[in-house]
Amino acid sequence: VSERFERDARLYDEVAADLDRAAAHARVAAQHFRDGVVPRGAAHAWAVRGHLLEAQARLDAQAREHARLSSPEA
Amino acid sequence: MHLGTVPYGEAWDLQRSLAGAVSQGAIPDTVLFLEHPPVVTLGRRTDEDAELHLPAGAPVEVVETDRGGKSTFHGPGQLVCYPIVDLKRHGRDVKLYVRNLEEALIQTVAPFGLQGERLEGLTGVWLTSPPRKLASIGVHVSRWVTTHGYALNVDLDPAPFTDWITACGLEDATFTTVAREAGREVTVDEVRPHAVAAIEAVFGLELEELPADEGAGLWAQPVHHELAAT
Repeated sequence: VSERFERDARLYDEVAADLDRAAAHARVAAQHFRDGVVPRGAAHAWAVRGHLLEAQARLDAQAREHARLSSPEA
Repeated sequence: MHLGTVPYGEAWDLQRSLAGAVSQGAIPDTVLFLEHPPVVTLGRRTDEDAELHLPAGAPVEVVETDRGGKSTFHGPGQLVCYPIVDLKRHGRDVKLYVRNLEEALIQTVAPFGLQGERLEGLTGVWLTSPPRKLASIGVHVSRWVTTHGYALNVDLDPAPFTDWITACGLEDATFTTVAREAGREVTVDEVRPHAVAAIEAVFGLELEELPADEGAGLWAQPVHHELAAT
């Protein structure tokens, strides 16, 4: 595997980890809201948003890098 | 955010995720106020052989953490404060941050007629004389975003600090509480507004209580504005 693809693979590992953590926090948030424990549910909801944005930021950075490589003169 | 009583593991996991969100600007600086069920936590400098002497069957969880400092005890009746703030906005100075937490604690206990003090070479807030430890501090900073924070003994039996562990690695230290020193019953609910005000004053923050029954809703106002604009 080329160094570049290995770098891409690591990035997707990190994205997957963020999405896993987002899902875990989402489940905990749902349970807290069902139990009427609203502040704890809200805190976990914030954590979900943070992990989703982190994953999105990693994907955006990779997309920008690929765009740069495919159009080096741009 | 006032989270009520939260198991240590859940609170730690939450802090780490919120720190990531604060780090990338997805949410504003966030301060968690909570209590823990009984738990002994070990810091990065804990000497387990010297500090842990838990009796067999003690009803307490033991957790190894990534915060600075040595061992400590948390339990109901102790106000725990975990500020998750980006130090790039607050001076980029970890020692200053810890001094600011001490200052916030000193301001928090003043309305109860207590004069909190710093002791040379020791972290935390004390009463003198003789020295009695009122609050402990242990922090972790990653990418300039803070986790962990302080624990203020409001009204709990301080025996676990000495009977179960050698808290903070301090032999012969005495631990006390706001209630004991004030000579009356004091609750965490009574102390929390003072703690919020002190954090706001020391760090120049305007904390919004979330989630609010009316108005603010689930998300902080900056997030609301951002979503409303899309």
